[in-house]
Amino acid sequence: MTTLVLDNGAYTAKIGYSHENVSVIPNCQFRSKTARLKTFTANQIDEIKDPSGLFYILPFQKGYLVNWDVQRKVWDHLFGKEMYKVDFADTSIVITEPYFNFTSIQESMNEILFEEYQFHAALRINAGSLSAHKYFQENSSELCCIVVDSGYSFTHIVPYCRGKKMKDGICRINVGGKLLTNHLKEIISYRQLHVMDETYVINQVKEDVCYVSQDFYKDMEVAQLKGEENTVMRDYVLPDFSTIKKGFCKPREEMNFSGKYKTGEQILRLTNERFAVPEMVFHPSDIGIQEMGIPEALVYSVQNLPEEMQPHFFKNIVLTGGNTIFPGFRDRVYKDVRSLTPTDFDVSVVQPQNPICYSWEGGKLLSENPDFDEMVVTREDYEENGHCICEEKFDI
Amino acid sequence: MGEKKTSARAQEANQRRILDRATRQRRLNRQLEALEKDNFQDDPHASLPQLAKRLPQFDDSAEPGKKRKKTRGDHFKLRFRKNFQALLEEQNLSVSEGPNYLSACAPPSKLPQRHFCAVCGFPSSYTCVSCGARYCCVRCLGTHQETRCLKWTL
Repeated sequence: MTTLVLDNGAYTAKIGYSHENVSVIPNCQFRSKTARLKTFTANQIDEIKDPSGLFYILPFQKGYLVNWDVQRKVWDHLFGKEMYKVDFADTSIVITEPYFNFTSIQESMNEILFEEYQFHAALRINAGSLSAHKYFQENSSELCCIVVDSGYSFTHIVPYCRGKKMKDGICRINVGGKLLTNHLKEIISYRQLHVMDETYVINQVKEDVCYVSQDFYKDMEVAQLKGEENTVMRDYVLPDFSTIKKGFCKPREEMNFSGKYKTGEQILRLTNERFAVPEMVFHPSDIGIQEMGIPEALVYSVQNLPEEMQPHFFKNIVLTGGNTIFPGFRDRVYKDVRSLTPTDFDVSVVQPQNPICYSWEGGKLLSENPDFDEMVVTREDYEENGHCICEEKFDI
Repeated sequence: MGEKKTSARAQEANQRRILDRATRQRRLNRQLEALEKDNFQDDPHASLPQLAKRLPQFDDSAEPGKKRKKTRGDHFKLRFRKNFQALLEEQNLSVSEGPNYLSACAPPSKLPQRHFCAVCGFPSSYTCVSCGARYCCVRCLGTHQETRCLKWTL
């Protein structure tokens, strides 16, 4: 009997057998300008030599699974002979879903897992619950933790006490990686070069140059300086996908502060964009989204919980999800939460080694747990009792 | 009856169209919606004829097993084709009790709004009279009026 753990994200799927390692694979399909007539699924993106103008077909909308035909194509690919060669009758699956998932999505998911693929058993769970499970396993003396999961579609702040999710404290900020990339695309297109079609390239730019500022207005001042003094400024060489396969930052000593470069590369000059873009998860109101940022929402969420628990939450803030990888993210969350909480509370912010795969690791740990067999719903159970057994057993 | 003299600046102000709050909010919502889009460009396959579907399927009536599968597909489309908005309405959250998707959304920030120049992104102290966008200097105001003010290009 094997267990397949699938953290089914809106942009990437984190997948692997519980006795093996994890792979991060795009959970979507692509179409390319250069390869007409072909739709690429999941990791077939590696076959696309020129990903400029890449067109995305995503199974998720606002973080919820709505496009089932796309999702099934991706899953067929992941489970099939190209990748994991799943022996469904002999495999249990741990699969994640978003908080407050809609009933009809949950039922569709049950049907597809048990009736179409015919998995031996399944466990549907929130990705944050897996992260919390891992955190409690690693820090067995802690009673509470609060998970910040900042992904592609949105950011969730979820308190857990002794492994149980506290639904009243869940807080969602509608800012995620997609919004950041789209905003960066928008401002670059307005200020220097039309890149609205280049989601793939600009996402790479975002990952390569953006960082979280520790002192926002000071960085703004530095970014306005001329010449060498402007330590924020970067020149990013865009890929042309023939000689330059991947974009990169020009090394500082090769930067030409005064004017144009003689070499023919296409350059993006980035100043305040570098930190103003990630700043949106800290101040969504900067672009007109009237919601709290992460530190404020963290404090808001904890303040709505029983008073005697509050110090435990501030001591155990866990950052997961791709957005938390921006340099400076952890320090900034610490700094802001520290300044918003009374001094007699300890504040500690933990960023795991790999924030993207942290919940997958949690799923792996959970599948090795002696109680795991009690938590899953087997296909026989489902065929006997239908959706209600899933609703009963899964803590969703 | 003598004509009243008005300053050039006041005259200009009268001519300029000023958007009301509702319109400004609508424009902002449109911008935010655009930020949610998966792609800006059109599907590169959209103009191509759907070859596989146009071809007549000669042998599909021969096998009853195959036919069953086909109806299953149709059932699938009906049952699983729902967009986010339809799902949200179906769930009927406004009347349900306990925490849910709508109640979990972060409330507005208590911190004061910060303002940035719509052109260059640096802190701004001025507001465009017509559309309410922010700008930081005369140069940026010029760019704004030429490119974005009262029109939305992107």
